[in-house]
Amino acid sequence: MAPSADPETSPSISTTNSDLQPFFLLHKAASRKPSSKTRRRIDLSPKPSDASAQEYNDNLPFDTFKLLWSNTQSIIKDVLKNLNTTVFDGIDKWVHASFDAIRASRTPDFTTATSMYPIPNNVPIGAQIFTALLFTKNVESVDDISTFADLGAHLRSNGCLVANLTSIDFSAKNGVGGCLKTLLRQFLLAGIDAPEMSILASWYYEQENYDKPLIVIIDDVERCNSSVLNDFILMLREWVIKVPIILVLGVATSVDALRNILCSSACLYLSVCEFNLGTPAERMDAVIETVLLRSCQGFNIGKHVSAFLRNYFLRHDGTLTLFVKALRISTAQQVFSEPLSFVLRKLVNEEGTEGLNGDNNLLREPAIKRALELPSLQRFCETRGNCIDWVSALSELKRLHQLWSSLVMCLYEVGRYRKISLLDLYCEMLKLKPQNFCANDLNLVEKDYATAVHNYQSPGCLQDNGYVGRAFQMLGDFSAMELCKILDRWEMLTRGIAEIHEKVKELQSQMTLEEKQLRHDLRKESKKPTARTYKKDWTSKSTLNEKVASFLQSMFREYIQTIESIPLHEIIFFDNVDNLHTALIGDPRRRIQADLLESRKFLKCSCCSKNDGVLVPSMHHTSIMYTLVQEHGDLVNVHEWFHSFMAVISNPPLQSKKKLRMSPSPKKRKDSKEARTKTDASIQAEFCRAVTELQITGLLRMPTKRRPDYVQRVGFGL
Amino acid sequence: MAKDESPQVSRRTTRASLNSTPNSKAPQEHSKATNPSRPLTIKDLVFRGKSINLDELINSFPGRRAQILELVQFLGPLNSPMIPLFVYGGASTGKTSTVLYMFRHLKRPFIYCSCVSCYSPSILFESILNQILLHRKNESGGYLSAKRCERPSDFVNSLGEALTALIDSLKGNMRKSSPYGRMVYLVFDHLELVRQWDKSDSIISLLFNLYTLLKIPEVGLIFISRVSLDTFQSDTGFVEPFPVYFPDYTEDDLHQIFMSNQANPKLYSSFLDLVLRPFYRITRRVDELSTAFSPLFKKYCEPLGDLVAVPNEDMKRKLFSHLQPFISLSLNETFTISSQPLLKDRNLRKSVFKKPGVCETLDEIDFHMSTSAKYLLISAFLASRNPATLDASLFDSTGGTDNRKKKRKVSEKSIDQKEAKEQEILMKGPGTFPLERLLAIHQCITSVGEYSLDDEELQNGELGADGSDSGSMSDILLQLSSLCSANFITKGGSCPLEGSTRYRSIVSEDVVLKVARSLKFPLSKYLYRR
Amino acid sequence: MGGANPAEVAQFIIRSRIADPCFVHSLFSQLPDSNYSKLKYIISSSVTEACNNSVLLLGSRGCGKTAVLELVLEDLHKEHPDMISVVKLNGLLHSDNNCALKEIARQVCMEHQLQFSKMASFDENSKFLLSILRECGLAHKTIVFVLEEFDLFTEGKQRLLYSLLDAMQSVLSQAVVVGVSCRLDADQLLEKRVRSRFSHRKLLFLTSPGEDFQRLAEHILLLPMDSRLPNDFRASFNEKLLNILADEEFKGVVDQLCYSESSVSQLLRFLFCAVCHMDLSSGSLSIQNFKSALPSIQRQPKQEALKDCSVLQLYLLVCMRRLEVKELELCNFNSIMKEYKSIHDSFKTSDYYARNVCLRAFEHLLQRGLVSFQDNRGQGQSAEFRPVKLLISWHELQQGLQSFRSCPPLLHKLMDREG
Repeated sequence: MAPSADPETSPSISTTNSDLQPFFLLHKAASRKPSSKTRRRIDLSPKPSDASAQEYNDNLPFDTFKLLWSNTQSIIKDVLKNLNTTVFDGIDKWVHASFDAIRASRTPDFTTATSMYPIPNNVPIGAQIFTALLFTKNVESVDDISTFADLGAHLRSNGCLVANLTSIDFSAKNGVGGCLKTLLRQFLLAGIDAPEMSILASWYYEQENYDKPLIVIIDDVERCNSSVLNDFILMLREWVIKVPIILVLGVATSVDALRNILCSSACLYLSVCEFNLGTPAERMDAVIETVLLRSCQGFNIGKHVSAFLRNYFLRHDGTLTLFVKALRISTAQQVFSEPLSFVLRKLVNEEGTEGLNGDNNLLREPAIKRALELPSLQRFCETRGNCIDWVSALSELKRLHQLWSSLVMCLYEVGRYRKISLLDLYCEMLKLKPQNFCANDLNLVEKDYATAVHNYQSPGCLQDNGYVGRAFQMLGDFSAMELCKILDRWEMLTRGIAEIHEKVKELQSQMTLEEKQLRHDLRKESKKPTARTYKKDWTSKSTLNEKVASFLQSMFREYIQTIESIPLHEIIFFDNVDNLHTALIGDPRRRIQADLLESRKFLKCSCCSKNDGVLVPSMHHTSIMYTLVQEHGDLVNVHEWFHSFMAVISNPPLQSKKKLRMSPSPKKRKDSKEARTKTDASIQAEFCRAVTELQITGLLRMPTKRRPDYVQRVGFGL
Repeated sequence: MAKDESPQVSRRTTRASLNSTPNSKAPQEHSKATNPSRPLTIKDLVFRGKSINLDELINSFPGRRAQILELVQFLGPLNSPMIPLFVYGGASTGKTSTVLYMFRHLKRPFIYCSCVSCYSPSILFESILNQILLHRKNESGGYLSAKRCERPSDFVNSLGEALTALIDSLKGNMRKSSPYGRMVYLVFDHLELVRQWDKSDSIISLLFNLYTLLKIPEVGLIFISRVSLDTFQSDTGFVEPFPVYFPDYTEDDLHQIFMSNQANPKLYSSFLDLVLRPFYRITRRVDELSTAFSPLFKKYCEPLGDLVAVPNEDMKRKLFSHLQPFISLSLNETFTISSQPLLKDRNLRKSVFKKPGVCETLDEIDFHMSTSAKYLLISAFLASRNPATLDASLFDSTGGTDNRKKKRKVSEKSIDQKEAKEQEILMKGPGTFPLERLLAIHQCITSVGEYSLDDEELQNGELGADGSDSGSMSDILLQLSSLCSANFITKGGSCPLEGSTRYRSIVSEDVVLKVARSLKFPLSKYLYRR
Repeated sequence: MGGANPAEVAQFIIRSRIADPCFVHSLFSQLPDSNYSKLKYIISSSVTEACNNSVLLLGSRGCGKTAVLELVLEDLHKEHPDMISVVKLNGLLHSDNNCALKEIARQVCMEHQLQFSKMASFDENSKFLLSILRECGLAHKTIVFVLEEFDLFTEGKQRLLYSLLDAMQSVLSQAVVVGVSCRLDADQLLEKRVRSRFSHRKLLFLTSPGEDFQRLAEHILLLPMDSRLPNDFRASFNEKLLNILADEEFKGVVDQLCYSESSVSQLLRFLFCAVCHMDLSSGSLSIQNFKSALPSIQRQPKQEALKDCSVLQLYLLVCMRRLEVKELELCNFNSIMKEYKSIHDSFKTSDYYARNVCLRAFEHLLQRGLVSFQDNRGQGQSAEFRPVKLLISWHELQQGLQSFRSCPPLLHKLMDREG
């Protein structure tokens, strides 16, 4: 999940499907039977008329992918940027405020500032270093790699001098000199061999930037060597009056971590103020909202994939980076596996659906064939012959998709008030079945409400109707002004979608009308009644909430049908979990061991491919060794091992058979012996090499002092 | 400046600012700063700022009269030679600022270097030489020191030369009757840090023997340290410098110190009457007290309309009842964090305590962690806490369904070991464990833990299933690395190829409890309770 | 400072005397059969007879070994002008061979106006040393190598000592090696090959300032004939002083002083303090000055540190003490906290504070040097797990508690209970 994986993959995507491999190179080992099979099936899917398939397949998908992904990437980038800007601005304000505070206490002149002895200050609490703790609410630091660099840039643009330090600079080996050196290098842009604070001071006053604060950003405080960090803080503190340094510490987990690192005296010198970046869940919601729902661009992920991603996000690593990567992979797979995917471009760039009929690609035989195979299309319009009404189909597709996503957004607007994450809503909406939709009126909702409430605490679980039901339920107990807000949001969301839009508008007008006579009980409601009280008397509730609720349900009943019923949805929604899973999560260890056991499957040599299971000397020695190890426990006696290995190497099976049959004659024994003596050294060499290889692959552990003649197997993973 | 400058210093400077020393200087300071290349003169070795007479000096340091007088006597009148002085006393007892202000009073050239800023011998040497040679590191000079010297021998040689040169020029000045005299004083601050520099204590004995090495009577050495002389061991010892002792402030001294430079003395004294006594039992350090007081005083003033009014008795009583809860709160707190107003949701935790009891208030962990990482963390915690011998009984293959009984049996069996075990855990802290053990425990736990998640399993069928166990190995190793980087688990240094690295979970128990709670994981069932 | 207050002048003179070890020990040079004469004899003989020699000056620190040596060399310079050249090395600075040889080369070059190259290698320097020895031998010029902190030269391979003493075996060379050390067993530290080349002359400097003190004090304090001093002032001053020195009370003070530690440097510090306290207006030393000087020299750091503690810190100390009594082999912050809690539970003390506050107090105790870590291992581990030990005895703690002003009575009780 290293983000560095992303950039170098992009060139590796080349035109044809078979060349997708480098993209998956990291994970190819993990491709287990079923998934690989499925992939093969997909590859062969445009089986009719292969020749033409190739020649319209070859260039389109790549361009499509590039187009789609570039859009998505740009969108994601500025979404994340917007998420951070508010926090950054807050930090910036704080920085300047504290800088003024420092300056107010005293502005020393050049000679005073550069002199070694401390100057008296009239800050009553001695001199404290203004410090901002920036909590990046995530144990995984992957998402925030760029964050601190961005923060630095943001502060620089607002007239600060910034130095970015990381925990590597605070190593016990280099001591406080190391981090000071990096600090000076970043500020002075010059290498100093004897780093010292007075240098910084004289620089600061020479360059006449005594009206700029000096910011020192430390990415990951938890990882710093505590003693070095303490020394650093003490040293800064001696100079903070002369050189206005302000610290920004990035904390991944919680403030306790920081307190465990710093000694009490260092804590004493920090006047701390805390800031928080958005939680991964918030970011995730923002990304989903913009990428999958707002920008109604072609590509989207189906229910299985979304559920899978959701699980993976909650369970395995909660990094946005991985999610983005998954999106990218699935885009690529969709584009390269779905022959009709070139249609996506039409959906994306805004020339819309007209002129589609003119597109010769669509009139091509294979395209139509392929299209005709799609069940959704058959359901949509009974097709006569080979002519498909592309325009209507695609426009219908686009319309329904827009409707759908906007409705999801509306629901999300509701859910927001009770912290229902968009991720959950999204997955749930995808797998809503039409039947429980038409049944989905309030009393059913009310029935579900209990369950919804009961597993409200555990966000892990995703229940039928859990979130949607809860969202509906909530509609009931909103106060009037909350409703107003929601309606306004809806009004904004549903712009461009005629059907819903004016309905929302008239709801708003009703709202404004009823404002007047609702004044009196509005107060009563404004102290928000809890769900319980609401459950008792929601029927006797003001008509307004009912109206809104019923409106939303009617919308759902009309416009939301399951994705499967949308024509050509196969083109848009990527729903092949196995491929994605394979591409995303490798299991190298298991793979290595499996492959070692059946090496002949890979190097398809003539000699040992025929007799499988039996060990023959011609096999690769490392794999022989590993197969031999299988017999032992997790402690392997080196001598036994070596002897069995030698046995395998030195006598081929047929000869041994012969040995069994006839009594060995002295001369035969003799020459076999001298054959052995001849090969002994080389066998040992082979043995050692193989052992080292096994150690390097992390399957073995070399003998310890306690048990010099035993190697230990590192057995896990299989 | 160690924590040594204390509020009374501020009083001093504010008085100085009243007769407009620093502030009036401010404009022409900048003009001076614009041409920083002004060469340093001997004048720059004298404390800048207006000179003060003895009374001002004494007044500006409440409770330090005796020490100041003693120091002034030891330094003696102009040009009088002295034996090395050793100024020692607890942290933040005004050692450094007293000495500095004494030089401000005496107006004699001195050279100061604190062993905090000069964190290594060579840097210490160079900064001393730079000051004596009136050298200034600047850009034109490539920020280089006047002399590179690594070895003590070079240092002593060049120091001797530089000092004689300086003293000669001072004598030359004296002839044209400039007031500085011919003595030069070297002040070494934070000497206690030098002990950690090298094991052989060669630097310490070098510094203490510097006077006899130099053989220059015009040099006065002043060492400032937080610890007394007897903690500076050296095998063959040294000629002891003359000790001058700064005791910690008494309660009355502290009262004076805090009363000085107050806008509304009456109000503040009524405030001090409330807080000073209880806090005095905890710490006597001025800086710690003032960090504790300043927020409290804000709280204290909250009910007041105007801060200039002198509070009457019942007003005081009201303020007292208003302040009372906060006092006991901040008595038990060492590290305050103010949160920004623009983060509304987090205002509930304004200050954080180490006391676990208080940590319970915010119940869920406030940072994101994936489920498997949580399980891994828990298993690491268990691996560190539980004795390895009990794993078999605690985690049986049935996933700890009936290990209540087993555990009890174990505890009965080893009732006597318990004390030793407890003591050991108390002493050694979390134990280390190899990777295999961690993985084994993790397997057991997750196999149990699936119960809590299985509604999700049936919800999304096979996905959840292979989402949880597929590729678990590579995945878990990744999780482990990220936990290590988050400093929840430390890794014993060893070559990765060897693979026999041992891990240790250093996460605090309440964090793990929170995690377990968020998973509904029955931690106590698996924890070997003593 | 012509028209200065004579008292100030007097103080100035005395101070400069105290600050100048040579003057102080010039007293001993007048005495017969003192180390001074012995050393002078050794060196001068080797100068005149043009032979090699080596001697060790051993004695406790601050008893004037170097000063005597200085005096001797000074006199010899006077007696045999430009027949002696002195090379001074100090174990603190030149214990490493390479830089020792450099230093030798540097000093020789400075004396003979040769130009000295910093870049010279070890071999070049050693060659230079040998050639210089030979040259001086030919010129009948004795080189005196003064090795201060001699014991530090014996660390490591002792190559410097070996090469020096070995070079002196040759008849050509003419040198004296004077080792100065405050380790009385310094000659035992020598390797065999070095010791065999070393002539075992040792001069022991034994100070018994009890009787010397009178002489020393007079030597230092009595004002000399001085242009700046009016005679009557000097007379009165000296007379007063002699009275004081003869005074029994004063003798008592001196005994107290010598009781704790009787070294010349200690006496010097004592006199310095007394002189600094001299009342300039009255213009004479009073017995009071000496009395007040005494306590400021005889410090009791541990007691002071105990006085500086806060009540919480005292609690922690008492807890540690109790743990020691329980004979727990190790104790660290956690066990101390356990004890602290148990005390609180049993006695319901008013000052029971949160763990972090106690940790802070604990760190302060470490800073004060009342408590120290058992070992330097386990740096990585957090402080509360590292084993610590108490650096003060039960008695000291007891005494400290009694002298502590607002010490809670409970602590006394706890101490007595297990004391």
